[in-house]
Amino acid sequence: MNKILVIAWREVTRIRKQFGSGASLLVVLAFLILLGISAFALWNTLSLGSGLYQIGVSGNVPPIRDSRFVIIKVDVEEGKTLLEGHRIDVFINGSQVLSRQDSKSQYAVRALKQTMEKEEVERVGNAYPESDAFPLRARLTYLGAAGQTNGGSTTGQGTRPEETIIPSLTPPPLPFQQVLVALIYLLPITFISIFFTSSFMDEKINRRLTVLLSAPVTPFQIILGKMLPYVIFTLAAIAFIAVQTKGNVLIMLAIFLPTTLFIFAIYLMVPLFYRTFKDVTFIAMLVTTLTTAYVVFPAMFTDVTDLSFISPLTLAVKMYRGEPFGWREYLFPSLPMAAIFGFSIYAGTHLLNEEFLIGYKPISRKIGDAIYLLMSHTKLYLSVPLWSVLVIPIVYMAQIIILAFAADLPLGLTLGVTLFVSAFVEETVKSIGIVMLMDHGRIKSDREILWYAFLSVLGFFIGEKLLVLISLRVVLQASISSILFGTGLLLFLPLIAHFTFTTIVTLLKAKTKLSYAAAVSLGTVVHFLYNWYLLGGLQ
Amino acid sequence: MTPFWAIVKRELWTVIRDRTILISILIQFFIASFSSGLFLGMLQLYDVDTILRYSGGFIRIGVVNPVENQLGAFITKHGMTVIPFETLEQAEAGFYRGEAVAIVDAPEDADGITEIGIYLPESNTISSIVRMVIQEPLKEYENDLRIQKGVDIRYTDLQGEPSTSFEFVYSVLLPLLMFFPAFVAGSLSIDSLTEEFENNTMETLLSAPLTVNGMIDAKVSSVVILAVAQCGLWLGLLKLNGIVIQNTIWVFLLALIVSGITSVSAALGAVLLRDRERSQFIYALMLLTAIALSNLLNVSPITILSRLAIGDYYTNGWTVTMFAVFLAGLYLPLRKISRRITA
Repeated sequence: MNKILVIAWREVTRIRKQFGSGASLLVVLAFLILLGISAFALWNTLSLGSGLYQIGVSGNVPPIRDSRFVIIKVDVEEGKTLLEGHRIDVFINGSQVLSRQDSKSQYAVRALKQTMEKEEVERVGNAYPESDAFPLRARLTYLGAAGQTNGGSTTGQGTRPEETIIPSLTPPPLPFQQVLVALIYLLPITFISIFFTSSFMDEKINRRLTVLLSAPVTPFQIILGKMLPYVIFTLAAIAFIAVQTKGNVLIMLAIFLPTTLFIFAIYLMVPLFYRTFKDVTFIAMLVTTLTTAYVVFPAMFTDVTDLSFISPLTLAVKMYRGEPFGWREYLFPSLPMAAIFGFSIYAGTHLLNEEFLIGYKPISRKIGDAIYLLMSHTKLYLSVPLWSVLVIPIVYMAQIIILAFAADLPLGLTLGVTLFVSAFVEETVKSIGIVMLMDHGRIKSDREILWYAFLSVLGFFIGEKLLVLISLRVVLQASISSILFGTGLLLFLPLIAHFTFTTIVTLLKAKTKLSYAAAVSLGTVVHFLYNWYLLGGLQ
Repeated sequence: MTPFWAIVKRELWTVIRDRTILISILIQFFIASFSSGLFLGMLQLYDVDTILRYSGGFIRIGVVNPVENQLGAFITKHGMTVIPFETLEQAEAGFYRGEAVAIVDAPEDADGITEIGIYLPESNTISSIVRMVIQEPLKEYENDLRIQKGVDIRYTDLQGEPSTSFEFVYSVLLPLLMFFPAFVAGSLSIDSLTEEFENNTMETLLSAPLTVNGMIDAKVSSVVILAVAQCGLWLGLLKLNGIVIQNTIWVFLLALIVSGITSVSAALGAVLLRDRERSQFIYALMLLTAIALSNLLNVSPITILSRLAIGDYYTNGWTVTMFAVFLAGLYLPLRKISRRITA
C-alpha cells in the first residue's frame, strides 16, 4: 500500500511540474474563465437549428428571443418582396404572419409558433386580469394500477399527488432533461483520463519505465499508484457535480464509481498498444465515442424498456426523477464494468514490460502478442478456459453495442446483423488464444487442439452462465437476448455446438493454408446458421 | 520531387500504413448513423408531431360527456381517438378495462375560471406522453376561452410543418460530419509535430534539404488533406441519401478552411509547448472556447455552414472568405514562431 502511495505522489508531482509553477495559477484561472464563458454560450445557443431561419418583421410584434431566428426589420412592401424573393422565410406584419407554400417557409412557421405563443401569453398575462388571461385550470390526478386494493375498492387514486396546472404556463415534463444532466458526469471522467494515459506515455518515451520496473515495486503497484490520484480527482468532481445539481452524493458516487473504473481500464490499454502518437488520438477518440454511446443511448430509454439498465446513467436518471431502484438494477450495469476493470488490470500487470512496450508492429500482431503473453505464463489447461471466462464481459458489452447499433437497420436486418456479428465476436474470442499459442508453437498436435478447444468452449460457457445467473435473467426479457446469451441450463447441445464451431476454426487454421480471418469467418457462418435455426425453431 | 511533397507523402503513408485512420472514419460513420437512429428513436418518444403522426390514432382518450366537452373536439382535431363516456365512474371503469389511456372529465365553472379534471396513469412514461400530446388541445381550448372573455390574443392560428428533422439534419448532422474531421486534424497535427520533439528526431528531419517552415507546412497540409478527403466523402454520401445541400462548393471550402484553422492553431501550440500532453489539453480548451466565442460574436462556423447548406440568401462566399482571412492571420505567427525551433 505504501508503495502505491509513493507512486501516486510521484504522479501528482509530475502533473505539477508539467503545468509549471508560477504560470499554473494563471492557467487555472484562465481555464475556469474560459470554461465558464463556453458553458454559458453553449447553453444559450446549443438549441437545435441555431440561426436557420430569416424572419422579416414590421409593425407591433413582440420580441423574438430564440436563437433559431435571425430578425430583419423591414417595411410592409419590402417584407412582401423579400418573402416572394425567398430572401426571408416568414414575414410578420403586426398580428399577421405571411409565409410561402414551400417546406422551408412552413418549417419556419412551425418553429415560430412555439416562440410567438410564449411571448403572446406573457403579453396577455400583463395586460388582462388573471381570470381573463388564464381562464383554464387542469387538475391532474394519477390513477393507480388496476387491481390495486385501495380501502376495499379495486380502483382509486395512485400514490402520486394531484396537481393543478395552467396549460399555457406549464410545459409538459421533458423526459430528456435528466439524461442531459446525467451526461455532465461523464465529462470529468473522460477529460481526466487523458492525463492518466499521458503519464504512461511519458515513462515510455523517456525510458524511465525500465528504471521503475527494476525498483522493488510490482507492475500492479505501479498501475494502481498512477491511477489513484486521477480516480480520486474524478470522484471529487463527481461529488462536486452531485452537490451542484442537488443529487445524492453517495448514490452518485456509487453509481459512477464502476463507470469511472471502466473508463480508466480502457485508457490503461492505450499506452500499452500505441505505436505512434496518432494512434493515441484515434484510440482515445474511439474509446470516448463508444463509451459515451454505450452509456448515453440506453439511458434515453429509461422507464421505457428494461434494456436501458445496461447503462449506469439510467440509474442516475431515475435518481433525478425521484424513482427508486434496487440492488439488481445497480449490479446489472456495474458488474460487467467492474469485471472489465479487473481484466484490464490483470492484462496491464502482465504486459507492462520493456519488451512488449517498445517496438513497432502492426496493431493486430501486437494484440496477438499480448494475448500470447497473457496466456503463456501459467499452465495452459488453466489459462485457456480462464481466458474465455474473463473475456465474457467484453463480449457481452460488444454484443450490447452491436444490438444498439443494428437497431437503426430495418427490422429483419437488425436480427440478422446482430446474430452474425455476435457469432463473429464469439468465435474470435474462443479461438484466438489457441491460435496464438499454435503460432508460438505451444500447441502442436491435433489432440491438443481438440482438448484446448474444448477447454476454451467450456470456460466460455461457464462464464456465460454465470453472467446469466447473476443478472441477465433477472432484468431482460427480450427474446433476442436469450439467443445471444443463452437461456436455461440445458447445457449439452449448445456446448457441443460451440465446441464444433471452435474446432472448425482452429483446425482450419492449423491444417489448411487459410488465414485466421478466413477461418473465423467460416466458423461464424456455421454458428450464425445454427443460431438462425434456433430462432426459427422458437417461433 | 520536392522535400515538401516527400514529407506530405511520408505522413499520409504512415497514416494509411497504421490503419488507425479507419477508426476515425468508423467513428464518424457510427456517430452519423447512431445519432440519426438515436434521433429518430427519441422522436418516437419525445416529439409530439412524430408521436401523433405515427400513433395518434392509437392514443385513446376517454372523454366524459363529449357533446358539451369542447376539449374533446380539440383532441379529435389533433388525430387522437376520443372514447365517449357518460359519467366519470364509467370512464374510470373503462380506464381499468384498458379502453382509454387517460380520462378528460367534464369542465366545471369555478368563479369564472374553467376547471377540468384530467386522469392519467401512474406510469411516468405514459403519463408524460399523454401530457405532451394533450398540451396543444389544452392550449387551444384555453385560447378559445380567452376569446370568449374578450381577450385579444394573436398568432393562435400558426400551423406550418414539423421542423425538427430539418433542423437536425442541417444544424447537427451536417456540421458534425464536416467539422469532426477538422477537429481530428488539429489533434493529428499536434501528434505529428510533438512526436518529432519528444523522440528527438526533429534535428535529423531538419538536416534534410528543407526549411523548418517547409517541414511544418508539409505536416499541416497532410492532416488537412486527410480531413478534406473525409469531408468530400460525407458530402457525397449525404447527397446519395437525398439530402439537398446548396452551395456545395462553399460548404466544402468552409470545411477546408476550418480544418486549416484547427490544424494551424494546434501546430502553433505544439511548436510552443513541444509536448503532446499539454498541447492536446490546450488544444481541447481552445476548441471549446473558440466554439463558444464564435457563437457569442455571431460568426459561428457551425451556423454559417448550416445556412450555406440550406441556401440562405444572406450567407455566401464572402462569409467564407472572412474565415480564410482569419486562417491567414493565424498562419503568419506560426511561421514566425517556428523559426525558433532551429535557433
